[in-house]
Amino acid sequence: MPEQLSVFELVANASIVVQAIMASLLLASVVSWVMIFQRWFTLRRALRTVTEFEEHFWSGIDLRKLYSELSSAGDAQGIETVFVAGFKEFTRMSEQSGTDRETIMAGVQRAMRIAVNREEERLEAHLPFLATVGSTSPYVGLFGTVWGIMNSFRSLANMSQATLASVAPGISEALIATAIGLFAAIPAVIGYNRFSARVETIMKRYEAFSDELVGILERAAHSKK
Amino acid sequence: MTFRSYIFPFLLALALHVLAVGALMIGFEPEASERKLIKPQIVTSKLIVLEPKSVARPAPPAVTPKPQPVPDNSAQQAAAAKAAQQKAAREAAERARRLAEQEAAEKQKVNDEIARQQRLAELASASFDDALAEEVSNIEEANAEQVAASFRQLIYQRIVSNWSRPPSARNGMQALLRVELVPTGDVVGVTVVESSGNAAFDQSAEAAVRKARKFDVPKESAAFEKFFRRFTVLFKPEDLLR
Repeated sequence: MPEQLSVFELVANASIVVQAIMASLLLASVVSWVMIFQRWFTLRRALRTVTEFEEHFWSGIDLRKLYSELSSAGDAQGIETVFVAGFKEFTRMSEQSGTDRETIMAGVQRAMRIAVNREEERLEAHLPFLATVGSTSPYVGLFGTVWGIMNSFRSLANMSQATLASVAPGISEALIATAIGLFAAIPAVIGYNRFSARVETIMKRYEAFSDELVGILERAAHSKK
Repeated sequence: MTFRSYIFPFLLALALHVLAVGALMIGFEPEASERKLIKPQIVTSKLIVLEPKSVARPAPPAVTPKPQPVPDNSAQQAAAAKAAQQKAAREAAERARRLAEQEAAEKQKVNDEIARQQRLAELASASFDDALAEEVSNIEEANAEQVAASFRQLIYQRIVSNWSRPPSARNGMQALLRVELVPTGDVVGVTVVESSGNAAFDQSAEAAVRKARKFDVPKESAAFEKFFRRFTVLFKPEDLLR
């Protein structure tokens, strides 16, 4: 036995089951970190877009002009899609003659609700994955540890002389599985909590904005009559 | 756009994991620290009895008054008076003598008592000193024995690690070897005292001691002389199984 055990020797000496568990946990960790970074950037961008758009919207710009700007550019995202969907529905329905104000407003509300839901879906993508990694990877790691310790004790039973030195490497290598599991789980849980809170904030702002837009359009429809 | 948005996060995540593994590589080396075994200080106490050997008590001098002869009053008054006078004088002398005797006896008694007390105190202190000295020497002996045992254990380990058992060795064989050391711990002599009956076994045992060449021995020459100048080692093949 070498004097100093490195992690890699321990991993290399582990049984196939434990190695597979470690590999899957490592993969889960990498993927969850990819999701964490991706969500982080996406949500930050979404929040920034909301703030900028609201500023732009309340600066007194003509809504028709804003609409044509956004729809011609074609890269509306986040709250902009909500606005575009609502305004498009409003213009389309008010161009049709014979539709009363309630019908128009109901259509606008429906269109915006759909857009908000679609945005929510987009913002919440991958969060279930983070939740799954956060809740299951400790158990998976624990399974690997239990399996490894089981094996190392079983091999101990075949020895004539039981010393601590003959089980310690086995237990140490088995515990690595739990360590990797926790390493994967902790950031995933933190990321999940943080990002779901942020999605909620963004969704509240979307809903507030869509209500305000409905109010403005209703006033416009009323004055038109 | 959707695919591109994952490239940068993926690179970041990869870099993070590489960093974590690198940190593990640097920081995981277990420290091989010498552990100090703290031996408990053993306090041994012994009950000592402060009882002097029974001192023979000097018997008090027995004073038995003699029966007074009764004077007889007969016709010869003068003679009788004279006799009575003489007798009275004799009696007075006798009484004075007896008084002095009694006084002396009393004095003797007091002296005896003082001497006895002194002897008792002497005896008590002597027995206490004896017990104390005995206890100290007991403790020292036990300590020396303990130290010797630990050195003996070291020597045993060294011999065992150098011993390669011959294939012809069987359970039940045993060879007794006498090992002679000089105060530096170097082996100067190995002799087979009791052969196992198997020459190869004896030779392997002898070779084990010779191969060890040098043992750790206590620095104090008294302990060395007592336990390690010359000692015997019993070789049994079963020891190797342990």
